[in-house]
Amino acid sequence: MAANINRPRNMALRVERFDYRMIFSKTGRARFISHLDLMRTFSRIFKRARIPVWYTQGFNPRLYIMFPLALALGTESDVEIMDISLTEELDESELMERVNAVMPEGMHINKVYKPVMSHKDIAFSEYEIRFCLVSDTDALKSFEEYLSQEQIIVKKHSKKKGEIDVDIKSDVQVLSLDKDGEFVRLSVRLPSGNDKTVNSSLVMDGYKAFSGEEYKLIYTTRTKILTKSLETFI
Amino acid sequence: MNYKEKIEQLLLSVQKPARYIGGEHGSVIKDKSKIDVRFAFCFPDVYDIGMSHLGMKILYALKNKRENFWCERCFMVEKDYKQVLIDNDIPLYCLESLDPLYEFDMIGFTLQYELSYTNILSMLSLGRVPVLKKDRKDLAPIVVAGGPCVCNPEPLVDFIDIFIIGEGEEVNLELMDLYSEVKKRNGTRQEFLRLAAKIEGIYVPEFYDVTYNDDGTLHSFTPNIPEAPAKIKKRVIADFDNVYFPEYFVVPYTSIVHDRSVVEVLRGCIRGCRFCQAGFIYRPFREKSVDKIKSETKSLCEQTGYDEVSLSSLSTSDHTKIAELLRTLADYTDAENVSLSLPSLRIDNFSDELLERLKTIRKSGLTFACEAGTQRLRDVINKNITEEEILSTCRTAFEGGYTTVKLYFMLGLPTETDEDIEGIAQLAHKILDAYFETPRELRGGSIQISVSTATFVPKPFTPFEFEPQATAEEIDRKQKLLVRRLQSKKIKLSTHQDDTSILEACLAKGDRRMSKAVYNAWLKGCELDSWSEHFHFEKWQEAFDECGLDMAFYANRKRDYDELMPWDHLDYLVSKRFLISENKKAHEARTTRNCKEGCSGCGIDKCYGGVYCGGKH
Repeated sequence: MAANINRPRNMALRVERFDYRMIFSKTGRARFISHLDLMRTFSRIFKRARIPVWYTQGFNPRLYIMFPLALALGTESDVEIMDISLTEELDESELMERVNAVMPEGMHINKVYKPVMSHKDIAFSEYEIRFCLVSDTDALKSFEEYLSQEQIIVKKHSKKKGEIDVDIKSDVQVLSLDKDGEFVRLSVRLPSGNDKTVNSSLVMDGYKAFSGEEYKLIYTTRTKILTKSLETFI
Repeated sequence: MNYKEKIEQLLLSVQKPARYIGGEHGSVIKDKSKIDVRFAFCFPDVYDIGMSHLGMKILYALKNKRENFWCERCFMVEKDYKQVLIDNDIPLYCLESLDPLYEFDMIGFTLQYELSYTNILSMLSLGRVPVLKKDRKDLAPIVVAGGPCVCNPEPLVDFIDIFIIGEGEEVNLELMDLYSEVKKRNGTRQEFLRLAAKIEGIYVPEFYDVTYNDDGTLHSFTPNIPEAPAKIKKRVIADFDNVYFPEYFVVPYTSIVHDRSVVEVLRGCIRGCRFCQAGFIYRPFREKSVDKIKSETKSLCEQTGYDEVSLSSLSTSDHTKIAELLRTLADYTDAENVSLSLPSLRIDNFSDELLERLKTIRKSGLTFACEAGTQRLRDVINKNITEEEILSTCRTAFEGGYTTVKLYFMLGLPTETDEDIEGIAQLAHKILDAYFETPRELRGGSIQISVSTATFVPKPFTPFEFEPQATAEEIDRKQKLLVRRLQSKKIKLSTHQDDTSILEACLAKGDRRMSKAVYNAWLKGCELDSWSEHFHFEKWQEAFDECGLDMAFYANRKRDYDELMPWDHLDYLVSKRFLISENKKAHEARTTRNCKEGCSGCGIDKCYGGVYCGGKH
């Protein structure tokens, strides 16, 4: 990769920065963009929109973009958080409009504002999961059985220890579980933050292991990002 | 459950799924009910490679500019996803509509390298299109192919209906218009093919009969219908400054090999290195004006959001206004925080200004394609760079803090002796000495010289098309000799696997009979041959044996000047007479001046827009 021509010039400047928080959607085909690729995707989006982004002042100047909470590949969301710094103060609605004009299919900015809370306040995510099974099993009943176990033991990949068994019973807060046509619809709150994160796929893969069933279709959407006191993170 | 739903579910379990779902910024979605011709542009390799290819970006945008055409992209899938597709009964699909390949009107492959040939068969088969053209009876789909390797398309005639010879910007649209017309009046495949054969630059192989001599060489190659011309002339864009260039790219989510804006600055090459196919088949040398290049750079950077732009050509520094070009582009890229990279620079015309400019943009490393180790052999191949030029550039670069030097060579060139191999080692050691002679306070910390050798593959339409390839044993001996001569830990040697070069030579110079061998090799499981972990030379050998073909006949045999070559019915405008005279000069170690120094009479008429064509400048 070629180095930035303007590096010396940039480094000499001490640029004031203006922080913004953007709430964005990642739906449809865009849900297959990995977390790693998201950074690159947004840096190109801002370049296309000609947004005066603030570069980190280090040896390798980089766009300052932060995603406090990763979204699992394949999960949709309308509530993703991205923090970005600009070198100029821009009107929030103008900023939103300019960025949305150059977004790829499935991505959209829904809100822009000055950050209020700190990333470490994030404690929970809520998900809506819709699924149906390959077999004719009564999926709702079978899933209720899975959730009503005294312990919900699932296999978790750990970088240090390899695959380990964990009990997620106390972490899974079921908000609702019902039928929606041929689908079972689960609404669930799971810890997600610095202290502890339980990925929705842990819950759903756990069910497959428990029941021996396979999903024919499964759609997962993150619906809320909440603080410890269950306020919406802003 | 439809294919789209199935695909989306399955992507949750494969590596880098963003490669298989499309939806990137710049990808074109149309209402298929309003489309006359649906074209599947297939790159016979994986997404990461194919998405880097400039030709695809040009033709994609060119076709989609027409309201009644819809061009989509299709790539070879990795083995994991291939298995997923097969297990779940999903045909290979295009990334825009996610519709299977068999639903398309035309399926077009770009042939960039010989080792991608079996991927064509895999993609057709995965897309549920009959692999053999004789099994395709309806008008749709028509399978076409273009790109540099169609200069000898014979090993693929069993699979491809139509080959597009030369540059595609005009002829692709002509072919699609013709298809649209034939489709509207419910015409047949035969009817379409016959009409297509009349278009300049279109080669329909089934309209030609081939006979062979007892020794296996070609005896005759004759058209069997009146519409088919005896010689098929390649298409050239004479007005290159006004040729279509896309104002947008599809910008991938995942990282690909060349992930940046690319602007084409010139086409063709003035140099005439005798081994280089690109140097001959893309003639004549034409260039874009500085203004055009600047405006194309600007619109692409704005649309893509890339922070890097690269200039594409065979030799960027041969642009007649290179200094002005770089100044103009730098004004733009500096202001926009975009970095400019310049591959394909030649050292013999490195001006001080150019070097100064390079200092500010790249410090990654210095690369020299020396190709041969001694001046004598460089004269044989007409690679007109001298040892002194290499060394003086290295000295300047070392003083500027560069610490990595890459040197590319070929082994097995015509007339090569052990002295030439030893010359490679000597040159590497001289560069190392030049580094140590650079004052310590100027030079960078630690030097690394990498020497890479590839095996020479003689290619059609070059002065070396008559030459044999060195045998595997000879190459092996030469490689071992080089290893013994390279003494320093600062010099790293990497050599190219020879089996792939042998196959490359066979496929590059093969005739029609080889089509069957390609088919058999594919049936045995050969695909993704350019990936060493997937390459199985023994299967290819078996396939050749089964067809009664001898690899040595194609790879290691010297051809007479008057032998009928399998590609002699194609006219790439450079005359056979010129290739023969260049071959003779090579054996006398005599060089030929480049086009800029004066015309050497390669046979290209000035009507094709060449900057230096038709006399002295």
